[in-house]
Amino acid sequence: MWVKCSGVTIGTDSPPNPLRPLALYVHIPFCRSRCTYCAFNTYAGMDALIPAYVEALSVEIRAAPGAPARTLYFGGGTPSLLSQDALASILQALQERFRFSPQMEITLEANPGTVDQMYLRAVRELGVNRLSLGVQSAHADELHLLGRQHTWEDAMKAVADARAAGLENVNLDLIYGLPGQTLARWKETLEAALSLDPDHLSLYALTVEEGTPLEEQVVRGALPPPDDDRTAEMYEWAETRLAQAGYIHYELSNWARSDRYFCQHNRIYWRNEPYLGLGAGASSWWGGRRWTNVRHPREYIRRLKTGQPIGEEMEVISRQLEMGETMLMGLRLMEGVSDARFRARFGVGLGEAFGAELTRLAAQGLLEWDGKTARLTPRGRLLGNWVFREFV
Amino acid sequence: MGQESIRNFCIIAHIDHGKSTLADRLLELTGTISPREMAEQVLDSMDLERERGITIKASAVRMTYRAADGQSYELNLIDTPGHVDFSYEVSRALAACEGALLVVDASQGIEAQTMANLYLALEAGLEIIPVVNKIDLPAARPDEVAKEVADLLGVPTEEVLRVSAKEGTNVPAVLEAVVQKIPPPSGRPDAPLRALIFDSHYDSYKGVVAYVRVVDGVVEKGRRLMLMATGLETEPVEIGVFTPGMQPTGRLETGEVGYIATGLKTVRECRVGDTLTDAARPAEEPLPGYRPAKPMVFASLYPVEAEDYQDLREALEKLRLNDAALTFEPETSQALQFGFRCGFLGLFHMEIVQERLEREYGLDLIATAPSVAYQVVTTRGEVLEVSRAADLPDPSVVREIREPWMKVQIFTPAAYIGPVMELVTRRRGQYETTEYLDSQRVVLTFHMPLSEMIVDLHDRLKSATRGYASMDYTFEGYRPGDLVKMDILVNEQPVDALALIVHRDQAYEKGSALVRKMKEVIPRQLFPVPIQAAIGSRIIARETVRALRKDVLAKCYGGDVTRKRKLLEKQKAGKKRLKQFGQVVLPQEAFLAILRLEEE
Repeated sequence: MWVKCSGVTIGTDSPPNPLRPLALYVHIPFCRSRCTYCAFNTYAGMDALIPAYVEALSVEIRAAPGAPARTLYFGGGTPSLLSQDALASILQALQERFRFSPQMEITLEANPGTVDQMYLRAVRELGVNRLSLGVQSAHADELHLLGRQHTWEDAMKAVADARAAGLENVNLDLIYGLPGQTLARWKETLEAALSLDPDHLSLYALTVEEGTPLEEQVVRGALPPPDDDRTAEMYEWAETRLAQAGYIHYELSNWARSDRYFCQHNRIYWRNEPYLGLGAGASSWWGGRRWTNVRHPREYIRRLKTGQPIGEEMEVISRQLEMGETMLMGLRLMEGVSDARFRARFGVGLGEAFGAELTRLAAQGLLEWDGKTARLTPRGRLLGNWVFREFV
Repeated sequence: MGQESIRNFCIIAHIDHGKSTLADRLLELTGTISPREMAEQVLDSMDLERERGITIKASAVRMTYRAADGQSYELNLIDTPGHVDFSYEVSRALAACEGALLVVDASQGIEAQTMANLYLALEAGLEIIPVVNKIDLPAARPDEVAKEVADLLGVPTEEVLRVSAKEGTNVPAVLEAVVQKIPPPSGRPDAPLRALIFDSHYDSYKGVVAYVRVVDGVVEKGRRLMLMATGLETEPVEIGVFTPGMQPTGRLETGEVGYIATGLKTVRECRVGDTLTDAARPAEEPLPGYRPAKPMVFASLYPVEAEDYQDLREALEKLRLNDAALTFEPETSQALQFGFRCGFLGLFHMEIVQERLEREYGLDLIATAPSVAYQVVTTRGEVLEVSRAADLPDPSVVREIREPWMKVQIFTPAAYIGPVMELVTRRRGQYETTEYLDSQRVVLTFHMPLSEMIVDLHDRLKSATRGYASMDYTFEGYRPGDLVKMDILVNEQPVDALALIVHRDQAYEKGSALVRKMKEVIPRQLFPVPIQAAIGSRIIARETVRALRKDVLAKCYGGDVTRKRKLLEKQKAGKKRLKQFGQVVLPQEAFLAILRLEEE
C-alpha cells in the first residue's frame, strides 16, 4: 500500500533497494496539551484515538516492504503516552517486517511527568535503548511560557528513573533564546542540565513558528520577539561551556558525551540517507522520492481501515535537488560534507557541483573549504541560513 | 431661448460644505433629473472622487427653470474642481461663468479654499450669491456665519441666503437669486466664434470632448474649428449639451455652455484655457488667460516587479489621455532600475495619479520622495530646470539655485496659532500677517518654499490643529536659496535615488534624521554597513547597521527537509526582490525614509 502515493508508483526510475538498510521513524501525534511554540503535527485531547491509531500503524507497517533497519525512532507528539502494550505491539509488527540489526539504536521521545521507573523499565525491556527527554528549561516561569506541563523536578526524576531503569543513553532537549530571557538564566538551565550528567544534549534556539500561540503573543506585543544577538551569545556560551564539560559538538544543535552517543538516527537524516516514516504526517525519503503521510490521525486511521493510499505531497527529488539537500543537511554536521563521499554518491566532486558557492562562502568567512571537506566556520554555524540558501 | 435668458454660474465651496448636495437639489427642482434617477452626487463621475468626497474634473449641466416672473431660463451650472492643485482649471471654469454661489457650512464657517476660490471669482468679475448651508445641523451657527460672509463680501447680512440643501429648505430662493442677480452673458452673436475650453475628457468613441462656453459667435456642426494656442484644426464629431447626459444639439449659441466632441486624440491637443474659433473665419484675438499646464512637483515611479514596467508605461499613457497636466519620461536608477520621472500640478494631483495607477491598473509601485522644479543658473548664464539632485551640475559651474516659493494662507482657530507658527517656521516659512476673521478664527499668511510643503505639510498641519486648520497656497515665484546637494552613501557608495537637494541650514538635521531612519529599515548584512550623509566630500552624519550575528534554523530533521528547503527558497527569492546595491541589499523602505523623517 505504501508504494502507491496519490496514484503514483514510486521507484520507476530509481527503485527502492529492498536490501539497502533504512532508518525507521514512527510518529505518535498525541499530546496531553500543546506547547505554545509547537508547529508539529500534534494533537491534544485525542487520546481516545490511540488504540485505533496503533492498529492502523500496524496495518501500515505490515504493508511496507521488508528492508534491513539501521535505527528506529519514536517521535511525536508524545510517544511516551503509548502504553507499554501498545509500544510492544508496534515493535512486534516492525520486527516482523524489518530486519533489526543487533545493538540497533531505538529512541523513544518522552516528556517528563509522563513516565515513571516502571514504565521505563518496561520499554527498556522491549528494546528501547535511548531516551530523549523534552526538559526545555530549569525555570518554572519559562516552562509556563512554553506551555510545558511538567516541572524541573519532574525532569530530574525522569532522568533518575531512566538511569534506574537501565537506560544508559539519555538525551535532554533544552530551549534557549526565549522572549526576555537573559544569558544568566540560560546559564542556570544549562548548568542544571549538566548536573544530571546527560549523555547527549540538543539545544534549540526558540523559533517563533507561524500559527502558534507564541507567535500570536509576539504579534500582539504581549511578548517581545526573541533577540537574535542575545541568542547568539547564548549559543556561543553553550559551545564553550560544553566543550569544557567534555561534550563533543557534532551537529549545529547537538552535543554528545562521546561519539558513542551521537544520535545514529538523526545522523542518517543529516547525511541525507534513506528513511521510512510511519504514522500520521510522517515523511519518507527513499528511492529518489520524498512523501508525507496524511497528517490528521483520524484520516490516517480511516484510510488504512478502508485500504486507501495514505501517502501525500509526493515529490520526485532530482539529482540537482538531492545534491543541494545533501549540502544543506550535511553542513549541519561538524564533520561537514566530504568530497570523497559526495563524489561516490553523485559521480561529481563538490568543487564541480558547487565550486562558485563554496568559494564565495569561504570568502565571506562562513565556510571552510580545503578541496576535501566543506564545513561551517564558527561564524557560519550562527549564519547557517546564509550558507544553506546558496544550495537551494 | 435668447441670450437674455441664459445664466451661467458655478458653486464655490470648501470640501464637505455641501456643494454636491446643493447641485443635486437644483437639478431636482428644475426637473433636470428626477429624484428617482438621482444617483448621489451626479456631477462627480469618478469613483475616486466620490470616495474622497471631492470633485476632480469639472463638468457642466444645463437646466431649464421657470422663474417666479413666469419666464423660462436656461441655467448652466459649471462644476469646479475643489482642490488647490487645480486652481488654474478653477480659474478657467470661473471664466466661463457670470456668477457664483458661495456656499459656506453653517457650522464650519469660511475655510481656506473658499477664500482662495472666492478671490479667483472676484478677479473674474463674477456676481457672488452668498449661501449659508446646513442650517439644519445642531451645531449650525447661521447668524454668525452669515455675518462672517456678509462682512467678507461687504453686503448686508439679509442678502445671505440660508438653506439646507440636504432638507431642501429654501433652495428655490437660490434659483430665484441666480435668475435675478446674475447677469446674462454679454457676447457678440455676430462676431467670429470664440469658445473657451474650460475642461475636457477623453471618450474612446468620440475622442477628446471639450467642455466649452461660447463667448462670441456660434458653433455649428459641419464647420471646421481651430484651436488658437496650437493652431490645430479639426472637424467636430458632435456638438451638444449636458442634461446631465450628453445630448447632441448640433449647435451652441452665444453665451451657451455645452460640449464639442473634437475628434482629437489626446487632451494635450485640447488644452484647458485654449480658444476654439472658426477655421474659415478665425477671431483676431484668443480669449485671455491661456496658460499651458506646468508641473510643479516631481517624483519617480518604479514598479516593484521589474516585469511590470511595460504595464506602468501603458497605464501612464492611458491616464495622460485624460490628464493634460501629467508628464512622464523614462528614467533609470542604479538602485531602482527602470521607471518614470513624473511631473504633477501638485501633491494632491500626484496622490491621485498614484492611487489610480495602483487601484485601476493593479500596479505595485515605489514612489520616490517628491521634489520640486529648481532653477539652476550656471556661470555661463544658462537657466536649467532640475528636479533631481542627481541632475545638479557640478557646484563649480553653478552660480545660483532658485526654488519655487508659495504664498500660503492657513485658516485656523486662534488657539492653534502657536503650533502652526512653529510648524511653518521650522520649514523655512516666513510669517507675513495675521487677520482675525472673528474672535476665534484667524488667517495666517506665510511665504514658504514649495519644497518644504510637499512632504506631509498638510497632514502635519491637521495634526497640529486637531484637524481644524485648512490651507491654501499659490505660486509666487522663484527665489534664490542656499541649496546644496546631499548624497547618501551606503557602504561608502552614493545611492543615486537617495540624493536630495536641501537648504544648507537644514542639511545637518535632515542628514542625521535620514541616516537614522535608514538604519532602522536596512536589514543587517554579513558585515557592518555604514550609512552616511555627505555634502560634497564632507560627511555630515553617519550611522552603522551592525553585522548580522544569527540566522540559522535551530533544528532540521527528516520530516522537515522539504519544508525547510522551501523556506530557504522563499527567503532566497525574497532577497532577490530587494534592490541589490553593490554588496548591500536595500529594501523599498530605504527609499521612502525621507518621507518619514518627522515620525520619530
